[in-house]
Amino acid sequence: MPLRDAGIYLDNAATTRPDPAALAAMRAFEDEHHGNPSSQHAAGVAAAREVERARQAVADALGAAPDEIVFTSGGTESNNLALKGAPLPRGGHVVVSAIEHPSVLRTADALRRRGVKVTVVGVDPRGRVSPAAVAAALTPSTALVSVMHANNETGTLEPVAEIGRLCRARGVLFHTDACQSFTRAALDAGSGDFDLISVNAHKIHGPKGVGALFVRRGTKLTPLLDGGGHERGLRSGTLNAPGIVGFGAAVRLARDASPYETQRLRDRLLVLLRRGIPGLRLNGPEDARLCGHLSVTLPRGDAKEAAQALSARGVLVSTGSACSAGKNEPSHVLLALGLTPAQAGRTLRLTLSRMTTRAEVDAAAAALVELAGSAHGRR
Amino acid sequence: MAAADADEALDLSGVPCPANSARALIALEGMADGRVLLVTVDDGEPVRNVPPSLAEEGHAVVRREKAGGRWRLWVRKGG
Repeated sequence: MPLRDAGIYLDNAATTRPDPAALAAMRAFEDEHHGNPSSQHAAGVAAAREVERARQAVADALGAAPDEIVFTSGGTESNNLALKGAPLPRGGHVVVSAIEHPSVLRTADALRRRGVKVTVVGVDPRGRVSPAAVAAALTPSTALVSVMHANNETGTLEPVAEIGRLCRARGVLFHTDACQSFTRAALDAGSGDFDLISVNAHKIHGPKGVGALFVRRGTKLTPLLDGGGHERGLRSGTLNAPGIVGFGAAVRLARDASPYETQRLRDRLLVLLRRGIPGLRLNGPEDARLCGHLSVTLPRGDAKEAAQALSARGVLVSTGSACSAGKNEPSHVLLALGLTPAQAGRTLRLTLSRMTTRAEVDAAAAALVELAGSAHGRR
Repeated sequence: MAAADADEALDLSGVPCPANSARALIALEGMADGRVLLVTVDDGEPVRNVPPSLAEEGHAVVRREKAGGRWRLWVRKGG
């Protein structure tokens, strides 16, 4: 058995390879500290010091204060805490977009079962949520709006600052799921346009199982868990200190890296694919998209078969989000953009990271072009 | 000793133990030996816990002053 995953990894929207420096920080923490970061003795304070260093790193990356950062187990928990924890009276109203992650959409379903009214706002053919459509959906009983910063399947960047401003003007809480965009696209929590922001570590070359929710000072939330009152009462449970330390290290490393090289390689990949596969369709906009993200619909063939064939050649891509790729239903996101189920079934997601090389991009493009050519020959 | 006598200030009002000690220690890391950090902490456990945690790392609380429900601690960075 190989000790490392082999192959050209182009599924960075699902998760990323942990940065060796983040792993080293976690290992050093585990070696040196075993105290509970909530204990007052020297071992506890030493562990808390590293946790607080990480909290500062996450806060700095968001333009927030450390007190506004609540550590969680990841994006799904952050989204659940934001939606279920928000003050929503029975009969209250929530607005979400049609392309949200299941951890928002399914949570909205749960709220609906509690008597909360939910409006789902659609997107344009590029996957963009219109601020005007969000404004039109607001009612006097709207208490919360949730629109993601960048979509995991199409890479589309949403106008969340604009949506946040209009929510603020109407006294409505605004949440954005920024798990895909954190440290890759600008988001300023200090602007006052956001009340709640979900982020996580494993999309930025950090460990899995740790994330955070930005909770703007003064925002009232009810915790999901009862317990010892950790994280200023918002997330009880002993802190995942090694994970948090790895998260902090990953954030610092990500902020030192430039997204432009990743974007340049992504653009190169698109040029190579368009040149080699006539009729290839790019999903989402050309410009306002995540730096490493491509979603393409093949002119013919089957995306799942293509992904398997690519995997056999050492090129690892996905047919949708990691959370829905195991299902046989067409992606709700691609359908929301107006793709037919058949087009959705021919759609591949190729996502790069700062660890992707030009040689990998060229090899992956050659493999997919060859595969698409053989599919063309068959049909 | 007045607030002006401190080189830097850190408001830890509302920050629970031991995160308050941890943040004060991180702030002191960035200061030169002998410089003074003015730390504001809550009454009760924070003012009981923070000074010993700082002393364990070689820093000295050179003055403390109660202001409302909070305490102001002048902490000289130890070498």
